[in-house]
This record gives sequence, C-alpha cells and structure tokens, in this order.
Amino acid sequence: MTAQGVGIFTIEFPDPYTLSYYNDEFVTLGSNISFQYPITSNIQTLSAKDVERGNDPYGILYVPELRSDGCKEAEGSYVPTNATRLRNLPSGTDYALIGFLPWFSPQCVLEYFQSARTSPVKALLVYQPGTTNAPPPGNNDPSWSLGDGGNWEDANKFPVYALSSTSGTIVMTQLSLYSGNMTDAPHGDELASLFSPTDYVRLWATVNTQAGSQLPSLWVFLVIVLGLLLLIIFVTSSFMHIVQRRRRRDLQRRVVEGEVDLEALGVKRLTVPREYLEKLPLYTYSVPGGDLEKTVPQESPQPRDGAPETTEQATPAPGVPTAQNDATVSNQASSAFSQPTCPICLDDFISNETQVRELPCRHIFHPDCVDTFLLSNSSLCPMCKKSVLPGGYCPAKITNIMVRRERMIRRMRARGESESIEPTGQRTGGPVSLRDRLASTAFGRRVFGSPEQTQSGPNDIEMASPETAQPQASGALPAPAPATEITPAPDLAHTRSQAAPECTEPETRNRREWARQRALALVSNSRAPATDDEGNSGSRWRRGLRKVFPGFR
Amino acid sequence: MSTGAKKRIMREYGECMSDTPPGMKITFDEQNMTEWEILLDGPEQSVYAGGHFKLKLTFPNEYPFKPPVVSFKTKIYHPNVSNDDKGSMCLGLLRPEEWKPPNKVVAVLRLIQTLLIEPNPDDAIEPSIANEYKENRKEFDKTAKDWVKRYAK
Repeated sequence: MTAQGVGIFTIEFPDPYTLSYYNDEFVTLGSNISFQYPITSNIQTLSAKDVERGNDPYGILYVPELRSDGCKEAEGSYVPTNATRLRNLPSGTDYALIGFLPWFSPQCVLEYFQSARTSPVKALLVYQPGTTNAPPPGNNDPSWSLGDGGNWEDANKFPVYALSSTSGTIVMTQLSLYSGNMTDAPHGDELASLFSPTDYVRLWATVNTQAGSQLPSLWVFLVIVLGLLLLIIFVTSSFMHIVQRRRRRDLQRRVVEGEVDLEALGVKRLTVPREYLEKLPLYTYSVPGGDLEKTVPQESPQPRDGAPETTEQATPAPGVPTAQNDATVSNQASSAFSQPTCPICLDDFISNETQVRELPCRHIFHPDCVDTFLLSNSSLCPMCKKSVLPGGYCPAKITNIMVRRERMIRRMRARGESESIEPTGQRTGGPVSLRDRLASTAFGRRVFGSPEQTQSGPNDIEMASPETAQPQASGALPAPAPATEITPAPDLAHTRSQAAPECTEPETRNRREWARQRALALVSNSRAPATDDEGNSGSRWRRGLRKVFPGFR
Repeated sequence: MSTGAKKRIMREYGECMSDTPPGMKITFDEQNMTEWEILLDGPEQSVYAGGHFKLKLTFPNEYPFKPPVVSFKTKIYHPNVSNDDKGSMCLGLLRPEEWKPPNKVVAVLRLIQTLLIEPNPDDAIEPSIANEYKENRKEFDKTAKDWVKRYAK
C-alpha cells in the first residue's frame, strides 16, 4: 500500500495520571490555534510492510532515540534538542506512535530503526535533510541504501514513508515546539484557557494509504460485463437505426418516384393538406351542355341557353381562395362528369348556384361534403378511389411503421405470386409452415372478425372513364396487378377439390387456403391506418424497445 | 357523426319508407338513427320461404364514405352469412373497397333479398356451406329449410 497522503495535526490529551481515559481519547485542535499540515504529494513509500487495507497507520509523532554517541552528535544538526521524544510523552501507556527522523547516515538510520522497533510504532516518516521541495528520490535511489542489502525492510515491522526535505524540516521544527508544557506551545495561553494546563499537546500523524477507489474484483467484473452489454446494445441499436434510416430514405425515394403508392397499398392513410385542397378547382355548378335533355332533364331550373354564360361568370365563392383563373374553370366545367347530385349527401346540384369541388378525376362534390373527408380521412376520391394528391406526393415524414408495413405487404405479395405460379408443392401434401399458418390465422381473424375494419382499394376503376384515367395515371400504380392475379386462386382450389372424389379431408386446408387468399387480396385493399397507431400501442417498455431497436417486431 | 351524415340517413330513411321493398319492415329509432332493425321475410321462391329474419343495419361514423354493416340476428344457413353470433355479411357493394358513397340503403336491402333467393357461393364467407351449395344442393336445401324451421319461425 503506497501512501496517498500524510496528515499532521496537533492533538490535546489529558495526563493519564490525573484522569483515566482511553488511548484514543484526544481532541484534535483547530488550525487557528495549532499546527496542521496536510501533505498530499511528494510522498515516497519506501517500505509498505504490514499495512493492510483499511488499517491506516496513525500515532503521536516522536523522534526515536539514538544509541551511539557519534550518531547523537551528528543528529544535533538535524534534530532540535527539544524535539518530541518518547520521554516527552506520558510514560507507562502504550500510545500508537509514528517515528519521525532525518535520513542522514545509514549507520544512524539503522540505529533509529532499532530503537523504533522497541516501541509501539505504527509507521516511520523520514526525510532527507535539505532545502528542496522536490519529491523524495525513488525507492531504488542509492541515497536510500543502508548498506545491508535491504534487510532493514524485513527487520522493521512497520512501513516507512519518505517526505520531501522541506516538509520534513517544517514538521521537525514544529515537533520541537510541541514537546513541553502546554503553555510553552504556540498559542499556549489560549490553549491553557481552553483545557487543563496539565494536559499534553503533541503532534499526531495519520497516513492515508487508501488507493483512490480500488473496486473489489467482482464488482469490476460486473461493471465490465455491464459495459459490454451496453456496448452491444448501443452498437446493435445504432446499426438498426442506420438500416431503418436507409429503408426510410429508400421508401421515400420510391414514393417520390411514384413506384409506391402508400395509400393504395394500405401502408398509410394519407390526407390532403389544406393548401393543396384549396388548389383544387372550386366553381359554380352549371348544367353541362350537350346531353342535358337526355341525362338530367329535371335537373335544370334554367333554360339550356344559359349554360355558356354561366360558365363564363363562374366565380369563386367569397372568402374561399381559388388558384385557377377563369379560363381553366370553364374548361374543366365543360369536361366534368355530368353528375347531377352530390354523391355524398344525395342532394341535387342547383345549376348556377351550387359551389362544387372538382377532384382531379373529374368527380364533383359539395365542398362541404368532401372537404372534411379529404382533410381528415383519406386522400382518395370517394367515388373512384383515385388519389387526389399529385403523383410522387410524399408525406412529410416516413415512419418506421410505414416502412415495416410496406415491406410486409411486399413480402406477402411476393409469396402470393410465387405460389400462384407454382400452385403445387407444399399446398397439396406437405405440412403448412408455421409462418403460413400464423399469417393465415392472423389475417383470417381480420377477415372474419371485423369486416368493417377493411376498406378502400385501388382496383376499382370502373367509374373512371378512359379519358379521365390518363391525366392522373400515377394514382393507379402497379398495386392492382398482383391482386387480380391472386383472386382467381380460390376458384382454382375449388376446382381441385371438386376433382377429388372425397373432399372432407381437404376441407380444412381449403378453408385456410381460402382465408389466406382472401387475406392476400385484402392486404392491398385493407384500410390504410390513419395514424401510426401501432407505434403507440403496446406497453411502455415495448414502445421503448421499438425506439431503441427500430425494425424490431 | 357529422350532421351531413345524419341528414343523409334521414333522407334515406324517407326513401326507404316511401319505397320499401316487399317483405321488409324497417324499425327506426329516432334516438339512435345509426342502427336500423329490419325484419325480413324469406322470399317465397327461396329455401328460406316462411322464415322471418331479423337484421341489424349499422351505419359507421364515416358513413357514407364507408358501407353500412349488415348482420343477421337470426341464424341462417347461407354461404354468404357468417355462421357465428355475428351473422355478418361482406360481399358485393357491402365490401368496403367496393362501396361508393352514392350507393343507397335500398340497394343494400335489395341485394340481401336477391342473395336469399340466389346465394353467391363464389364469394362466400362460409366455404363449407358454399361447397355444399355447389355440389350437394339437395343437402343444402334440406339444412337451410331445417334451420328456418328451427330459428326463423
């Protein structure tokens, strides 16, 4: 144990002859009226013998006696005559002691050691005489050599610490001040007023060997394991984040390029932003020209010849901003569907009076009826399910859940296609894989349990007449194609089971198969979720888990 | 539910009243106009003749953007009606992806009547009943009539 610091204090304790007391009953004096000297640096541990953890050496400072006359004489130039000696302490009591000595000649130091061994010394503090404040020389420095090959370390039953020269000189000077009566010490009168004048005032030292924060090895091990775990989690998490970010960007790119239609796929229910909705044509309904008599004779409260002018005077409703100029208005009005009624409220449009909103697919509605629907429910025309949004419109934020849905749908599609190409194989005999079964049960439940949850598909274009289909062709994307490929499959299964003479056995599989096919067809049509509800579902820790490991199922 | 939707339901109710398909009785509660109760007589030319079927027509909040939900409260042996306590139907224009706002309730009621006369086994919700209907019509007729006697009298 190397020493981290040495504290020198002044203590006051009563004379054991006048008072019975325990060895450690003493008063540490404050720095204002006594000597206090914390030494936290420039300490060299020469020998750490017999010092155990949590058992720091402490004791009253004293200078051991020398025996030989030569050394006694030599000592005089380093140790003041009135430095605290053993005889300056109350005799007959075993105090914890710390020896303090100048390291001036090997011979004399050995004598010091010898003398210290006969007393209850807990440790020795030494210093090489001089005036430098530099750290004491290292252990192997020849100046510490006593010419006995290091035997002294074994002979001593206490540790030895070296202080710097200046620290040693200071302490030695103080040691001479606190050796006699209390009144002779610095601030003696003050002390005498505080304590009984027969009490002793001496220097005391403690050596702090606690090596900072040395943790027990088990804890170290645990901390390392924990750190490794955290590191693994961090690395995995950031890896998943990176992957997920790449997927998000990829999806965004494909959406912008028009490869993927989020709403048609049922990945995300989009809504129309207000500023875009306001750009959609809004004009006064007027009975369309030519086929007026045939289609809606009762519809026109005004004579036919009024039509051309009314298209000219089509004015935007006050307070409702419209983006287009009059030319486009009349243009669109003439080519619009001849819808006499609003399909939502079933009220008739009144020519030259009713304001109508026209969607890019040319369907017209009361703005009151359709605007809230488009703003808050869907971006698809309620009539033909064609997107109102321009191709490549991308919602501001592609979320992880959208990415996951899109991937799931793509995977389902791929499997559905590969199976319709190759209808034999696992379907006829082999056990249905767990994945298939899970998928079929999951979707089967959705099909049977709550049909009202499914909605709105893209593959309904019968309403869209050919010339209306082309302007916003990007709305209808590759999405419908696989769905149509899938739908014949149940029939296929049927014909097969018909071919089989006994159809009780394939019955259950048939049903499952049918459910799966239906699920596949539904995937493309299933209601696109309005919010990222899945992200908010589940317990809190699940949500946290999803945040840490995006893409985790 | 928006006032527009309520207005529309009221309007449709009026239309249904003035032009109720034969063999049908509609009960309508002013307090809860989104749930209609319909008493439907089995059409004479079908296997369900003589039965009285109770149906519930529920209008979703998003009506008319989403189709009304039809469910048979009376058990019926039919390929297009789910054979559970829900008795749900999901085909044709009742299917959310095929539903269009201009479709009317009258059309839905007519569709149900037509389906009782002529089930659609190719778009069945109960494949086993559909199979039987296609391959063993006699057995199907027998069970259907049996169920009418048992549940729909």
